[in-house]
Amino acid sequence: MSVPDDLPVLEVTALEKHFGGLFALSKLDIAVRRGEIVSVIGPNGAGKSTLFNVITGIYEPDGGDVRYMGESIVGLRPHQLVKLGIARTFQSVRLFANMTILENAMVGQHCRARGGVFGSILRTPGIRDEEERIKERAIEALGFFGPRLSGYRMDQPAFSLSYANRRRLEMARAMATDPYLILLDEPTAGMNPRETLELRDHIVRMRDELGLTVVVIEHDMRVVKGVSDRVIACDYGQKIAEGTYDEVAHDERVVEAYLGTKATE
Amino acid sequence: MADREGGVARVADVRMSRFERLPWRRIILLILSIGLITLTIIGSVATLSKPPGEGGYSGATWAGFVVDGISQGAIYALIAIGYTLVYGILRMINFAHGEVMMTGAFAGFFFAAAYAESGFLNRHPITAMLIVTLAALIVSMIVAVLLERIAYRPLRNAPRLVPLITAIGASLFIQNAFRGFFGPQARGFPRPDILIGNVELFGLEIPKVRILVVVVGLVCMVLLQGFVARTRTGRSMRAVAQDREIASLMGIDVNRVIMITFAVGGILAGIAAVLFATTFEQVRFDMGFKVGIAAFTAAVLGGIGSIGGAVLGGFLLGLLQAIGPALILSGFGIPSPFALKDAFTFLVLVLVLVYRPGGLLGTGEQEKV
Amino acid sequence: MNRVVKAGLAGGAVTIFLGLVGLIERFADLSLVGEQVTFSRLILVVAPFIVGYAVGRPRVEHGERRSITAREALLWGAVAGAVAGALVGVAAVAVDAFGVERVRAVFIQVTQGLIDFVTLGLEPPIVGAIGLTAISAVAGVLGGAMHVVPDRIRKPIVSAIATILALGFLQRVVPVAMAEIDLETDWLYTSAGLTWFGAAVIGGIAAGVSILKTWKGDVIRDAIRGTTTGSQIGVEGSAPRGGTSVLRTVILGGAAVGLFVLPLVVGSVVSERLGTVMVFILLGLGLNIVVGYAGLLDLGYVAFFAFGAYATGILTGGMLNSFEGITPPVIHADLSFYVALPIVVLLAAFVGMLIGAPVLRLRGDYLALVTLGLGEMVSVLVASPWLTPLVGGPAGMRDISDAAIGGISFRDPKNFYFLALAFVILALFVSRRLYRSRIGRAWTAMREDEQTADAMGISTTSYKLLAFAMGGAIGSIGGALFAVKIGSITPASFQVFVSLQVLGIVILGGLGSLPGVVVGALVLVGLPGILREFEEYSFLAYGAALVIVMLLRPQGLVPNVRRTRELQEEERAQDAWAAEKEQEAAVEGVST
Repeated sequence: MSVPDDLPVLEVTALEKHFGGLFALSKLDIAVRRGEIVSVIGPNGAGKSTLFNVITGIYEPDGGDVRYMGESIVGLRPHQLVKLGIARTFQSVRLFANMTILENAMVGQHCRARGGVFGSILRTPGIRDEEERIKERAIEALGFFGPRLSGYRMDQPAFSLSYANRRRLEMARAMATDPYLILLDEPTAGMNPRETLELRDHIVRMRDELGLTVVVIEHDMRVVKGVSDRVIACDYGQKIAEGTYDEVAHDERVVEAYLGTKATE
Repeated sequence: MADREGGVARVADVRMSRFERLPWRRIILLILSIGLITLTIIGSVATLSKPPGEGGYSGATWAGFVVDGISQGAIYALIAIGYTLVYGILRMINFAHGEVMMTGAFAGFFFAAAYAESGFLNRHPITAMLIVTLAALIVSMIVAVLLERIAYRPLRNAPRLVPLITAIGASLFIQNAFRGFFGPQARGFPRPDILIGNVELFGLEIPKVRILVVVVGLVCMVLLQGFVARTRTGRSMRAVAQDREIASLMGIDVNRVIMITFAVGGILAGIAAVLFATTFEQVRFDMGFKVGIAAFTAAVLGGIGSIGGAVLGGFLLGLLQAIGPALILSGFGIPSPFALKDAFTFLVLVLVLVYRPGGLLGTGEQEKV
Repeated sequence: MNRVVKAGLAGGAVTIFLGLVGLIERFADLSLVGEQVTFSRLILVVAPFIVGYAVGRPRVEHGERRSITAREALLWGAVAGAVAGALVGVAAVAVDAFGVERVRAVFIQVTQGLIDFVTLGLEPPIVGAIGLTAISAVAGVLGGAMHVVPDRIRKPIVSAIATILALGFLQRVVPVAMAEIDLETDWLYTSAGLTWFGAAVIGGIAAGVSILKTWKGDVIRDAIRGTTTGSQIGVEGSAPRGGTSVLRTVILGGAAVGLFVLPLVVGSVVSERLGTVMVFILLGLGLNIVVGYAGLLDLGYVAFFAFGAYATGILTGGMLNSFEGITPPVIHADLSFYVALPIVVLLAAFVGMLIGAPVLRLRGDYLALVTLGLGEMVSVLVASPWLTPLVGGPAGMRDISDAAIGGISFRDPKNFYFLALAFVILALFVSRRLYRSRIGRAWTAMREDEQTADAMGISTTSYKLLAFAMGGAIGSIGGALFAVKIGSITPASFQVFVSLQVLGIVILGGLGSLPGVVVGALVLVGLPGILREFEEYSFLAYGAALVIVMLLRPQGLVPNVRRTRELQEEERAQDAWAAEKEQEAAVEGVST
């Protein structure tokens, strides 16, 4: 079955979400095409994380639609969406702290396997092969970040990692789900400048080497400038600008929304 | 990922079957709800349509049930307040609160028995009962505070499971300690003569003791509400319940407030204990368990964390317990519906927690962790 | 000094408590060694001893660990012990002055005999109280001395005393076992506990073993440890640590052989008890999946136990005791146990999912209470008049299959032990395999962070249901076995306490730890079973044990490595993070 190249991977139309009287998302329209890296920027509280939460099924929208590959995914549960190929990371790193690094990554591969109860108990050859494959894929995903998450490190508990490595592990775990679309929520928050630039390159590699479509929520404009094909600016749950980095960075409304917190080039 | 197929082939995986899209949980819950409501209606109609003596009940009997229910509800409410206060402050269920009540009952018993023997109980019933109640509430209060100090305080920051287990252990321990102290048999709790018999109100014969229970219960609830809402200590309690850390930063001695919370819960439980013992005329080492669970159900029913909820839940549960089995189960021809009273209570607990964990006065949504 | 006095008061309070509860009086005649060392006398000195030990421990003062000098340890031990004894003595004197009978009207265990005992039989009581104080002071000194005496003297002594006491307590069991294998017991036991000679021999052996352990202990420990550490979930095939695998095989092999030979050695009575222990190990393993692996707090496990037992009864021709005599239940079948069992298990799994379904969204405490409620409902229902035609009401069910194969009846305790053992091994196998599989990984992830697990592709609903189903299945096997064991069941065996007992087993042993479940069952079910005289106090001890374990060692007796990590997470995270930061700074400092 062939799919037209210009079918948006992700399409959000007239999306609405409110909590009581607070409108987190207000008639939001976003489209992301295959192989794009789109950044979503905006001041805190603009509803960006809420957008991710709605897309990934953690919240249900109060209005509008979310389409993935042309099909509406509203109402599907988060774990179902992962199977469909949508992966995400969280703003506050949510690792399985007491599991090892390798185990964290293997959890990512969970949805790509089918091992059932009886197979697991009996350890049939099919299951054993599957476990091998899970392990390999997980190691592969971890390897994306170089030696930092590989080798002897893999057997260490996740809580022993440094902050930057935790963020990387979170991303590796998301990548281990064999996604098609990956949503990164403030991936460089808390990282130092060197780590930030390194991550910027990683994000581009995600698209170039692995063919992923990426949507990134970011505050650091160096990253936004360095990775984005398109930038979408939001404030108060509404889209206030869209375009290339330069277009959006100089947009009056965007500057106003940030009140001068734009990072200088 | 390096050897993944191109985007085209993957779209085939994208379609999700209709089957998987169905909101199963909602469907099942809906079916369950309809089923339960139907059963309730059928049972009730069946019971009400039967004449008294053939499985039905007379109007007077129903009235009796209602009175019993309200009176029992007052007792539940007092104990439920204890649960809800502790939960509000520590977010933990004080599993041993039923035992706190039991200790008060025994303390009261020894005084009451002595007074009954000497005749003091009937010569000056009010004074006697006041002393009995005082003894009960003091002991309950001490036990509650000791419990907090020894078993709960060291575990304040432990993962949730740990204090729960401790509470269960404490409950078992206290129960059996008292069994060891005072013996496994039930002891008869004397009732002063003036409380024996009925009174006529609204054309009904109502046992005097039941009226006393409701009156005393209401008075306590009002006093407690005033305490929590108007006094400085009450304000501190509410502050600590909202946000422990900030409260301590505002200069509130959190440990003391927590101790006071347990103490207040204990006092109310002690009063409830005397009311309970007087109503049923006996005390036993295991009386706390069932009453405790019922009271906790009441607290959850009304909305845990809220005093109004505890009160509402208490009365409501009392009524449900008194009327429910008779009303619904008799209709189905189930023999001795009252033997299933406890099962009925637990069913209510389960239903409340499944449908509306926040309780009647709660938000209807579970706290998002 | 303040805390020393407080400790003494606490110790004295504990002794008074034990007296009020009746422990001292009840066992006044239980002699452990000869006729002199009775249980009651032991109680009197144990509290001061422990208190003396406790105050002599190295303390953390102003952030520094400070050890106590010998003089301080002994002195404080003496003081604490004396205070403890004095408190008890004063209480006894007070009771005597007030009138023993009057006190007895309230605290029924306080008899003249008790007071006489506590005051050492001396008149007037105050003299006895002083004597008690003196004795307690000595006990306290000995307790404190435990810190002063060097290890190589202390350990053998402690081993010797502990072993002597243990064998003293087991005076009903050990001689019987020895008699079964035709060993002479007269030198060791009389009708009243150990003989002094026997005690000396045992003490000597124990001390010897202890000395041996100090020399060679590490070697032995490594050999055993190789099996419990170094194993990760979901990563099958991680190599065992430790070099001496030969020794390890020998030890494990010995244990396995021991397991099989056990019932032949210990006699019918103990075999019967072991059979019960096996059933509870099975229950523990089932609950371990629900609580330990999936993190679902289930307080109503007795429901599955009851279901398994009654369903087995119904399907294998069990009969009800009713007014008309012995009648079959409304629904019944007369299948072989081995045909009925799979049916029961499947049904139980299904019921497990039914129970799990509505409670999926509930959080910790709420889940606990709902399951408690459900368990209670089952308890009430099986005794109710309503279900009497089906399950027999308070009189219960009888004539349940004895699961006979080829003429071997499993009603015989020795045979039953093996039947139960077989299922236990099966359950252990299944548990271990599940834990190390993708499913086990999913459960662990769910336990760590449910929302994130969901967001990573794990259908939490399905896996929770699976946990309930598996737990239910295994629990029902336990119930089925229980029904076979005695052949008749009554609602009395299916009360809420069973749920708490099984939960205690799992937690005491260590959540998620398979050896822990075994140890937990041995301690919580085996001990009370063997020490039958103490059965009355088992609930009390049980409650106290739960509280104490949670306060002191919440990770359990044989902790699952991961679980200990979870409970010490904060500490280690900070340490590790700090260390990593330092390291990175160092590296950066070098490279720039």
